[in-house]
Amino acid sequence: MKIGSRALLLILQNAPVILFLVLLVVFGLMSDRFFAFNNFRNIIIQAAPIAILAIGMTFVLLTGQIDLSVGSSMYLTACVVALYMPDMPWPASLFAVIALGALIGAVNGFAVTRLGIVSFIVTLAMLFVLRGIGMWLSNTRTLMFPDQILTLNRATVLGIPSAIFAFLVVFLCAWALLTQTPFGRQVYAVGGDPDSARKAGLPVSRIVFLCFVLAGICAGIGGFVSITQIGAVGPKYGDQVEFAAIAAAVLGGVSLFGGRGSVGGTVFGAILIKTVQNGLNIINADPYVYPLVTAAIIFLAVAIDGTRTRIIERLERRTIRPLQAV
Amino acid sequence: MTITPVAETATGATQPPSVLRRLGRLMLSEYFVLVLCVAYVLAIAPFVPEILSWEVASNILSDMMPLLVVAIGQTFVLIIAGIDLSVTAIVSMSAVVGASVMTGTGGYLGDTAFAVPGAVLAMLFTGLVIGAINGFSVIRLNMPSFIVTLATRMFFAGAAVWYVTFHSTSSSIANLPESFAEFATGHLFGIPLTVIAAGLIAVVAHVVLSRTRFGRAVYAVGANPRAARVSGIPVERTILFCFLISGVCASVAATIYVSRMQTGSPIVGENILLDVIGAVVIGGTSLFGGKGKIVWTVFGVLFLLLLDTSMKLLGASLFAIYIIKGGVILLAALVDVARNRWLVGR
Repeated sequence: MKIGSRALLLILQNAPVILFLVLLVVFGLMSDRFFAFNNFRNIIIQAAPIAILAIGMTFVLLTGQIDLSVGSSMYLTACVVALYMPDMPWPASLFAVIALGALIGAVNGFAVTRLGIVSFIVTLAMLFVLRGIGMWLSNTRTLMFPDQILTLNRATVLGIPSAIFAFLVVFLCAWALLTQTPFGRQVYAVGGDPDSARKAGLPVSRIVFLCFVLAGICAGIGGFVSITQIGAVGPKYGDQVEFAAIAAAVLGGVSLFGGRGSVGGTVFGAILIKTVQNGLNIINADPYVYPLVTAAIIFLAVAIDGTRTRIIERLERRTIRPLQAV
Repeated sequence: MTITPVAETATGATQPPSVLRRLGRLMLSEYFVLVLCVAYVLAIAPFVPEILSWEVASNILSDMMPLLVVAIGQTFVLIIAGIDLSVTAIVSMSAVVGASVMTGTGGYLGDTAFAVPGAVLAMLFTGLVIGAINGFSVIRLNMPSFIVTLATRMFFAGAAVWYVTFHSTSSSIANLPESFAEFATGHLFGIPLTVIAAGLIAVVAHVVLSRTRFGRAVYAVGANPRAARVSGIPVERTILFCFLISGVCASVAATIYVSRMQTGSPIVGENILLDVIGAVVIGGTSLFGGKGKIVWTVFGVLFLLLLDTSMKLLGASLFAIYIIKGGVILLAALVDVARNRWLVGR
């Protein structure tokens, strides 16, 4: 019994990875084009924008907050680049996008930490406001991007496609920040138990504020990578992206209640979602099935995670009285 | 464990209350959002006198109904500290299932006497099933409701679009029975049927929340699930029922939408999610559970609709509506924070 439950626990601990492997095998068996190097490269290129957004989301989720404004933030920054910087070199656009993203994040962070409004409401309101401003600036037209931005899509750095390069840079920075610095440990501390963190003398407000700024910056960069890929932006651009980013993070083991999760997990979640969509595409599945399968896999992964937590609790509980029926 | 809103006792009954105190009492009372609504109408009336007309008022009222019904269901889920993001998908799925049952072109019960009742039952059943999936996932699989309902939302929104392809060559299911349209257009004693239906639901929901054991259990579970469990409240069952209520409410809203539009479209109500949650929260229901009222939700929905309608009457473009809506949600949240600080400070 004990060995049995240990084995079960081991399987459940690595459930998302096992799920990923199963998917790889299934898609591989159904199409020989799936296991091609080019295909995996494409998956990562396609996953890059969402992965970058989700990395920023991870910081916010780790502190127990949420940011629903990232999709609209992507849209607004894209509008600004297309409308006001058509002749500027791309590094200037990238810088502007990062600065504007940081500013938006700062507004969110200010409203949450200084004004004391729940982050769900703050960022919900910002979702409307930012998209409204973007539509105002663009007159709800579809905007095209200048060539110096579109050519970035085909550019490579050290032989790595630009989207993957950007994604790797953001990932490594976020990973280093979260695991190698005092700030990273403080983020976990704040998310795990804000009261204790405050009593231990941590500047809780400042940490939460910085996490929102980081999420804003990531939204800017993720949006920038995505506009190099699609080249034109309509008023619906970035709609519901916040949910995709949250799904990726949660799939990778980030808790919505804060304090638990990692950047690596989030990236894994984003790649898992794109792998599913890519695999369905390669096996020529009915396009109507895509959201169904994606939703089912997110559901499955989180259901396994929930069951795991419950089993761990049960194993760790010392039974003095007989277990009550659950 | 029930958190009842602070009852306003007449503390200053002996001397006539000052204007400031009266204002303060109004700020704290549960009619605060209603006061906001009235103030807003008075402020905007000089610019758009039409808003005071009977026609606009009745338009607002009938636009309000589907949103209100969804928001009432959402209120239950928010009070138990959950969230139901799947309501829009429930509306869509119910709409297409119902339409596929009663449509005259190849519907399951098309052109029979059972077409309309069968369709309504099918719609309510759809809401119940999706609500049950949400509820069971939360209580049995230990999943956070945010993610459960995010997944079911994605799934059933996709499924609704797919479902239509089996029943229609276009993107929605048309040719619905005439008698079903009467639900949206019909009146009883001069009151639109939809208003009666939504009003009934609101009254029942209010009574359930404030006068029954189940209602008290809902608040207790939301305020502190551990304490609720220890005091013998069936926490799991309460949570499940709240998700069922939300599912059924969303499918009732679907009947109103379908009847009004005379087609079963899979994108009906696609954009109402943030309006619904925004309205409930503007009303004053807490996202952290344990606090909320149906009356507040009614005022919240009314306020959001007033805002929307007045902006449209002013000829504001979509972006202005977005910006102002966002600003108002933020403002309402700020006022709520200020109210709570003041309450604590007293």
